[in-house]
Amino acid sequence: MPRPRLPAPALFLSLAAFLVLVFYIVPLILTLWASLTPVRNWNVAQLRQFVGAENYKRLFHLIRFDPDVSTVVKTTIVFVAGTLAVNVLGGLLLALAAFIIEERASLGFRLLWFLPRMTPVAVFGLLWYYFFYPQGTLNAILLRLHLISHPVNWGQDVLPWGPWSIIIFVNGLVGVSYGMIIFYSAFKAIPKDIYRAALVDGARLRDLVFRIMLPLTRWHLIFVTVWQLLSLLTTYAHLFVLVEWGVVEKWHGMTWALYVFETAFGSAVNDQALASAAATLLVVVGIGLGLLTLRLMGFERELGAVRGEL
Amino acid sequence: MVEVELRGVWKRFGDFVAVKNVNLRFPDGKFSSILGPSGSGKTTLLYLIAGIYKPSRGEILFDGEDVSQLPPNKRNVGLVFQNYALYPHMTVYENIAFPLTIKGLPRGEIEERVHSVARMLHIDELLDRYPHQISGGQQQRVALARALVKEPALLLLDEPLSNLDALVRLEIRGELKRLQRRLGITTIYVTHDQSEALAMADLIAVIHRGEIQQVGSPEDVYRRPRNLFVAGFIGMPPANLVKATVTRAPAPCVVIAGGGEYCPGEPLASKLEALGLEAVVVAFRPEDVVLGEHPMEDYVSLEAEVYVVETLGRENLVTLRLPDGQAVKAITSPLLNPRPGDKMYVNVEPSKILLYDPETELNIEAIEAAPAARPVSLAEASERRRAAQEED
Repeated sequence: MPRPRLPAPALFLSLAAFLVLVFYIVPLILTLWASLTPVRNWNVAQLRQFVGAENYKRLFHLIRFDPDVSTVVKTTIVFVAGTLAVNVLGGLLLALAAFIIEERASLGFRLLWFLPRMTPVAVFGLLWYYFFYPQGTLNAILLRLHLISHPVNWGQDVLPWGPWSIIIFVNGLVGVSYGMIIFYSAFKAIPKDIYRAALVDGARLRDLVFRIMLPLTRWHLIFVTVWQLLSLLTTYAHLFVLVEWGVVEKWHGMTWALYVFETAFGSAVNDQALASAAATLLVVVGIGLGLLTLRLMGFERELGAVRGEL
Repeated sequence: MVEVELRGVWKRFGDFVAVKNVNLRFPDGKFSSILGPSGSGKTTLLYLIAGIYKPSRGEILFDGEDVSQLPPNKRNVGLVFQNYALYPHMTVYENIAFPLTIKGLPRGEIEERVHSVARMLHIDELLDRYPHQISGGQQQRVALARALVKEPALLLLDEPLSNLDALVRLEIRGELKRLQRRLGITTIYVTHDQSEALAMADLIAVIHRGEIQQVGSPEDVYRRPRNLFVAGFIGMPPANLVKATVTRAPAPCVVIAGGGEYCPGEPLASKLEALGLEAVVVAFRPEDVVLGEHPMEDYVSLEAEVYVVETLGRENLVTLRLPDGQAVKAITSPLLNPRPGDKMYVNVEPSKILLYDPETELNIEAIEAAPAARPVSLAEASERRRAAQEED
């Protein structure tokens, strides 16, 4: 068969390529560029001056010696690891529950878990603001149960795990439906006869889950883990609201992505050069972690050997 | 092993009735077949026996013990699925070992049993491969091995041969039957292919639209179809079904288009009389037709016109048309090669002819002498009893 000529595929690819170029490649180059200049306070003329690795030196100095910035690093690690665990394991558990319960009930169940994702960020943030702030719902419940004697400002005073728990909780709720929906459809995609065969072979629920369902949805597990990992590294919308409204203490509620945002656009600093260096670092770490996760979970092995029917 | 009995079993899926009041007994150690067209409820019936479905009503008994509510893993059954349902992420060895592994048997025993069943089914060379690396026939054997390795009391097979090509099918068909004999395991085999059922089964249950149509030996089902569905389903091609009228001068006779007349002997004649039918459906098998240029003595002969001749190698399949347009098929020697348009006589031995009531579609032979549908009044009943006593 003759190979298709270039123009047709090129035409189809051009739109996507254009979008990637304009919204990904160009900003990436601009960021990299800006990180090598002393640009501050939107003084774009400074984009012509080069300072070499100066911003990166400042950044690593801050990470080492500024307690606030090193807290941001710790918060990022705890937040990403914790929320990733909640999203992947929680998504698995919810998908299992949705799979096991009756079909009609399952739809409502899944919709319920989609609510956080469908709710606007500000509304969802406000909801949890009312829940966690000192005079909020959580303290009211705990006071009524006599578990505490006076209201506690969980997000500000209980450091570091108070704010960390809150940001993991809120983002976990938003993200968990993603894993749920992917895993649920993956479980559904396993042929019914496989489940029946396993049941006749004597499998209990535990055997079904660990010997049939999880091994057969390994690919989805890898995908959700890597996807969520990269999303969590860069997400900051909910965190921004929680920090801005004082639900959580500033540095213990701030991840690296939010730190980049605050440094570039925040009210206090407006140091675009430093923010660009921080953003570039985030991209490098993201790529590294993504590849590492793929390797750890045996992505190449999955790609290499096709198992089962195509 | 185990005897399986179904008592008044129904299965509904929403408004759809998949299985209707099924009463069946599958004898211990025998090879039984559930035969029916696609969508007839045969797989549902098998899944009910396996415990994958629970009956909506009725009981399923294993050796007299009610297992209707037991889950599949408590029934000690082996099931081979139509598409084999091998676990794609496990090797052949792991697939076969799966039922034993989750039972938590010691590793040595698992190994021994897997190897022994794999040797029996000639798949011991394949144990390290994955299902997608072996052929359909080999997958079929692996599925069978997985069903047999736990030494079930009951082996259930759901169209196990339908995904195989013709030669492999014949080979495995023979093997399956020998294997069943050797192990003496009660086997229920679901198929839509009547030749499989006729060739393998000791007992055939024909099912259609969720209802059992006939239960009997292959011979029974083939020679004495209980109703028109079975007559029109079994056989390759199935029986000819020809509409005919009944005359009564003086004895009841059946008049068939093309000049055929069949006057049945007793007890069929009096049954025909008692039923008071005006019309019947006449059934005879294509292979029972003697096709000739002349009518034959002592045969029922129908004049017909050759419509089409199909050469099948070992034989010819001739389709003819009776004067009133009804089609009749005949299997003839390959030497007899009539041309379309030829006038021929379809000769059938009277003993090979079966009569069916067009209303109830039942074989008239099988209908009880008194028409069951007509309610008998109390006065009539006592009259009959007195008549019977006087005869004594």
